[in-house]
Amino acid sequence: MDMEIEEIRGTFRPELIPKETGGDIEDYEEALHVLMKFVGSMSSALEQVSGRGANAIVYQAGKRMGHDAAKMMEKTDNLEQAMKEMGEVLGVEFYFEMWKPSDQEGYTIEKGNETVVKLLFMDCVVRQTLRRTGLPQKGPLCYLLYGYMVGAVEEVMSIKGKLDIDHVGPNACLKTLTIKWGGK
Amino acid sequence: MVEIEIDEDACVGCGSCVDDCPNDVYQMNEEKWKTEVVKVEDCMACLSCHEICPAQAMEHRDIHVAKRLYIDRKVNDVLDKII
Repeated sequence: MDMEIEEIRGTFRPELIPKETGGDIEDYEEALHVLMKFVGSMSSALEQVSGRGANAIVYQAGKRMGHDAAKMMEKTDNLEQAMKEMGEVLGVEFYFEMWKPSDQEGYTIEKGNETVVKLLFMDCVVRQTLRRTGLPQKGPLCYLLYGYMVGAVEEVMSIKGKLDIDHVGPNACLKTLTIKWGGK
Repeated sequence: MVEIEIDEDACVGCGSCVDDCPNDVYQMNEEKWKTEVVKVEDCMACLSCHEICPAQAMEHRDIHVAKRLYIDRKVNDVLDKII
């Protein structure tokens, strides 16, 4: 297939940065797909080289992102409030809502010194990347979200949390977030 | 509120959706030997059932449809020309 690459020639003036990005929506799309392929192949290479250590690496990366994303958020010790705030911050890339089965009263369940809440992730960049590259879900890249949520929770509530994957699907994934009170 | 419709003519009664659904939304109707929806209120629209159904016998309505930015529009354009 012949592909014509159009070269963009023009004047470079520093004051135009970042207003002029030098590309249209199709360039963004192409860049997104290249990035998805790159991240996907990096994830499978990581898994090949480091085995289960890949999960820890991606988890750590996610945790940093979570801490950074939640820095500007208001601190709270109310889990439902924290989830709402996090939903606003993580919104577009990782759109999630609290979820509960129909026979459960509230979203949160208290278990001794732990509070548990189920989160339904609907839009997820990780899932899209995995589907773009044909990789299975629940792999190392899913640990990015694990780290992301834990990092954000640590930042907002100043306590430890963990995120378990209950179920993955092509349109949404269900995860359980467990908060350990007094577990700094 | 999610609505799920099963196309009974298409359903082959393999029970894959019954096994796969984590919230027991489906069960087998043993008389008809077809899947039926019994707990639609617990459907979280993960659409695992769509992925696993060999007959594409179900349809979900009024759900959040996740973004699918991974789909290559250029490939779609080529497919449109072929199909």
